[in-house]
Amino acid sequence: MTYKTFAAIDVGSYELAMKVYEISVKNGIKEIDHIRHRIELGTDSYFMGKLNNDRVDELCRMLNEFTAIMKSYKVDAYKAYGTSAIGESQNQYILLDQIETRTGVRIDVLSNSEQRFLDYKSVASRVKDFQSIIERSTAFIDIGGGSIQISLFDEDSLVTSQNIRPGVLRMREELARVSYRSYQLEDIVGEMVCDSLESFREMFIGDKKIQNIILVDDYVSLIVQRNFLETIKKGQVSTENFLGFVDSLKKKKAREIALSLGLAQENISLLYLSALMIKHMIKLLGAEMLWAPGVSLCDGIAYEYAERNKLLPSDTESVPHDFEQDMLDCARDINRRYHSGEHRTREREMTALTIFDSMKKIHGLSKRDRLLLQLAAILSECGRYISLANVGDNSYNIISATEIIGLSHVEREIVANVAKYATEKFDYFKILDSNASLDRESYLKIAKLTAIIRLSEGLDLSHKGKCDKLKIANENDVLVLTVETNADMTLEFGLFERYATFFEEVYNIKPVIRQKKSNI
Amino acid sequence: MGDKNSKTDYGRAEYYYNRELSWLAFNHRVLEEAKDRDIPLFERIKFLGITASNLDEFFMVRVASLKDMVNAGYTKKDIAGMTPAEQLEVINRATHELVGMQYSVYNKSLLPLLAQNGLMVVESHEELTKKDCAFVDRYFQDNVYPVLTPMAVDSSRPFPLIRNKSLNLGALVSRKEVKGRRHLFNKKSVHGKEVEFATVQVPSVLPRIVQLPEAADGTKRVILLEQIIERNMDKLFLNYNIECSFPFRIMRNADFSLEEEETEDLLKEIEKQLKKRQWGQAIRLEVEEGIEKRLLDIIKKELMIDERDIYNIPGPLDLTFLMKMYGLESFEHLKNKPYVPQPVPEIETDDDIFEKIRQQDILLHHPYQTFTPVVDFIKQAAKDPQVLAIKQTLYRVSGNSPIIAALAQAAENGKQVSVLVELKARFDEENNIVWAKKLEKAGCHVIYGLVGLKTHCKITLVVRREEEGIRRYVHLGTGNYNDATAKLYTDLGILTCNEAIGEDATAVFNMLSGYSEPLGWNHLALAPLWLKDRFLYLINREKENAIEKRPAKIVAKMNSLCDPDIIKALYEAAAKGVKIQLIVRGICCLRTGVEGTNDNIEVRSIVGNFLEHARIFYFENAGDPELYMASADWMPRNLERRVEILFPVLNAELKEKVWHVLEVQLNDTQKAHFLQADGSYRKAESKGKNTCNAQEVFCKEYTQLTAKKEKAEQQARTFRPEYNQTIQN
Repeated sequence: MTYKTFAAIDVGSYELAMKVYEISVKNGIKEIDHIRHRIELGTDSYFMGKLNNDRVDELCRMLNEFTAIMKSYKVDAYKAYGTSAIGESQNQYILLDQIETRTGVRIDVLSNSEQRFLDYKSVASRVKDFQSIIERSTAFIDIGGGSIQISLFDEDSLVTSQNIRPGVLRMREELARVSYRSYQLEDIVGEMVCDSLESFREMFIGDKKIQNIILVDDYVSLIVQRNFLETIKKGQVSTENFLGFVDSLKKKKAREIALSLGLAQENISLLYLSALMIKHMIKLLGAEMLWAPGVSLCDGIAYEYAERNKLLPSDTESVPHDFEQDMLDCARDINRRYHSGEHRTREREMTALTIFDSMKKIHGLSKRDRLLLQLAAILSECGRYISLANVGDNSYNIISATEIIGLSHVEREIVANVAKYATEKFDYFKILDSNASLDRESYLKIAKLTAIIRLSEGLDLSHKGKCDKLKIANENDVLVLTVETNADMTLEFGLFERYATFFEEVYNIKPVIRQKKSNI
Repeated sequence: MGDKNSKTDYGRAEYYYNRELSWLAFNHRVLEEAKDRDIPLFERIKFLGITASNLDEFFMVRVASLKDMVNAGYTKKDIAGMTPAEQLEVINRATHELVGMQYSVYNKSLLPLLAQNGLMVVESHEELTKKDCAFVDRYFQDNVYPVLTPMAVDSSRPFPLIRNKSLNLGALVSRKEVKGRRHLFNKKSVHGKEVEFATVQVPSVLPRIVQLPEAADGTKRVILLEQIIERNMDKLFLNYNIECSFPFRIMRNADFSLEEEETEDLLKEIEKQLKKRQWGQAIRLEVEEGIEKRLLDIIKKELMIDERDIYNIPGPLDLTFLMKMYGLESFEHLKNKPYVPQPVPEIETDDDIFEKIRQQDILLHHPYQTFTPVVDFIKQAAKDPQVLAIKQTLYRVSGNSPIIAALAQAAENGKQVSVLVELKARFDEENNIVWAKKLEKAGCHVIYGLVGLKTHCKITLVVRREEEGIRRYVHLGTGNYNDATAKLYTDLGILTCNEAIGEDATAVFNMLSGYSEPLGWNHLALAPLWLKDRFLYLINREKENAIEKRPAKIVAKMNSLCDPDIIKALYEAAAKGVKIQLIVRGICCLRTGVEGTNDNIEVRSIVGNFLEHARIFYFENAGDPELYMASADWMPRNLERRVEILFPVLNAELKEKVWHVLEVQLNDTQKAHFLQADGSYRKAESKGKNTCNAQEVFCKEYTQLTAKKEKAEQQARTFRPEYNQTIQN
């Protein structure tokens, strides 16, 4: 049997963890070791802006030990990700370079949306009932050290995904500055969490009832997984049961809780805060069932590796969920929120994808880039919500400020720029001023995708969905776009040149438009 | 059944027995073996030697610790309600009594019996014949004299270091009248005569027992080394008259405490402390009965020892030489027939041990079964190209340990070898430092132990990359990875590749390497984190079952029981009707016959030819019994200050085998002593047909098992012709 040994390293806010996996098409992803070291990086970076030298030394020492362990397992590949504690460190690039020099371990920083997407992927890949759970209204709550991600599913679709603060470690640090009595803690936590949650409910849920909560966290999930509560099945408890459990914790001292739950005492403060946060969420959302599959970011990293290396089991049952569709659903939800009519972008989306697909040999872009193009097409009109005058700029601003689950910061910047230049003149220099530190490759990607989306815009300037069918052929450096329609295409023919020039510049292929009568 | 409403406070001191006195009671039980006429003579002398060795350790550690407490003004009472000073008082009385009994057995029973059986111990050099004298003097000149270092006391040479546990000869010497010579030694004017103190250590590098030429009737004769030196003392202190000379021996405080948090290099710090051990406070002085008072006064004064800590010995000091005497040749008929540990039927020599473990979990029962599979487990792993890593904890290992050699070989073969060598293993510190350095040199990753904890668990993990992926093989045991003691100590172990146990074993080594504990354990319970609570939970579960009228029973076998929380929980469970049978070889602070427990607790101690060492725990669990084994006793030190592992016996067949071990021990009528309500032990009634010696039963069973297997194999190699019965008839 062929299998790969893979190590996933999570440089988290309060813990450095490494999981070693064996991944094979036959058996899927099998965890073989889990090494954890408690190191509160978040305490430094959230409140002082950078990690102190002792923490960096400790981190490097542990990573060197992890390297030795990886060698002992003869791992084929590893992936190390840092999350918000590294991401929010002011000197992250210096820090990451120093770590790589001292340990040989390269750490990439995950944006919040990427991190949550990995968590989410690992849950979907692990929980067999995932598909049936999200058919009913479900909140996917991912409690991290710095923030909480709440994603809403209904009828098998992702409705929205929002990030709210604070996470559990950040909350504990903030509470350390507040003088309170123990009986006040629950209310204070409620005040810190509920403001954002209530807004979330008003904006995305309304009167609708949330039936399930899927939980990803480091403490409560463990308790649920280890059957300390009366479970319906492994990892699943009724919220009523859970609320009773939280109330029972109130009466106990930390040591008592640690002994009864089999947890190290150092974890109890974070467990209790997590439990209180979840309690408030359950009450606010009115959920009946709590699912805690007990997965971690490392599981998501392993899933991503397996997916990229085509090592996932071939039977679709093991991962029935379409994650790309979630990202698209998320984008459509943003569109809806900004009242940007779907009909306006639908044609652009379809046309852009048709052009992209017909040019595979020319553009050299990936499947992921296709997704970015599709997202940009969907979101290219959302700026209309702010002003009808500067739609491109406004769309750019909205996209840049909105989390789209699964996108890195750089990818989001690409999407925002492509959406912007779908309707505006391409600015060769301004793109480089963006915050996301775009490199040459990303710049070229923006240019190539913009060229395609602008061409699709040129084919549907009136946004009336004139095109019944589009055929594309590449003939001697000419891209012939044959539009089958019975509608009047005078406007599109007249202004096509404006949208085609940039395409020709990027690809050195001249696009021409032809009309053919439609049979529809 | 107990009274459900009873509110007896089982934490009260009156319900507990003092651990030191309980230990002394254990040594009495060992002494009982030395007295037992049904036991071969040489086995009896061995048992007497063991009591002496035990007592030495007891002084160096337990008495020393109590003395430290008294000196520090510590007055907190123990679980039995005694202050350290009170304990020392009763221990002193009890040990004097014990020593008296030891020498009574030696002088009155064993010496005459040895003589009757052809071994004469010449007690004093004055008894030697002329021929013997010539022999010993020659022996002295050739072998002893070169290694002796006579020590003198004068103004430029202070009182010498008398090493812990060493046997010495102290002498008063007076100058021979030779003109023109100044006095060599410090002069003491005692009773008007000028004498000086001198001493010489009986060298431990030489055999204590010296064989004299055989008597005409073939009787073997031996004399002790100190007698030969005493006879030749004048050759050590030329120009001086030996006024008198007597053997003496001191015991020093050998307990040392480490400031581990502040220690940068544990290995160096332990090496430093070990040197200091030789300088610990003297806590016991043994002198030959009848020692010259002037000589005793000098020793007493210099060693600053209390009168009550002096033991006047009516015979040779340090009876541990009897354990060496056991090894004398030509007396095999006076010993038990040596038992050869039997092969483990599941594993043949040259088998691929990993394949065998994959077929089934394997139970090992030492010393009835050979320890070889455990050594082979490491040896094969060291050579196996598929093995990625070997991880092991070592507490006490034998000299020239094959396990150490295999681990070193594995590292040299490029395996990742991580070994936790517990440098703080008492009295094995020096050995372990040597092993640790050797393993490091071979390329192993050596962990010296954990700050503030002793790692006492016995676990080995072999990580192997196989066709189907990584597989983990684990050995878990109740006894040390010591091939020498595995021939003498009864222990159990399991070889398994159970995935969940493999995961836990990985987590154990991750924790020993300093990483956080896993988010959850599958089967193992670890001290000091969970073990005590786990045991309390299991005991309390039986209690709840008894209350609910479900089957409830506990059978536990261990070396010592003195954890107050566990004992209290046992009393409470017994009070609710749980039947509790304890097999506790050594210390037992639990009392039987405590009010409200309705005689539901029965304690027995088995002292036999092999040292009972296994820890097994059976819980009835309402008719769904659970069996566990562990490296830990029910002692606070095991449950709170050591890394220990409790592991379940999961396989049904193995469960039966382990239960059988308990069952046979519960049926022992020959070596079992039952704890009485007054704290004394009474030997089981062994009259009648149904006598049972558990250790003999196991020897017989395993020997029969081997024979049966051999017979089956033999039959498999023989053709069996089949005849037509009709024709034959």
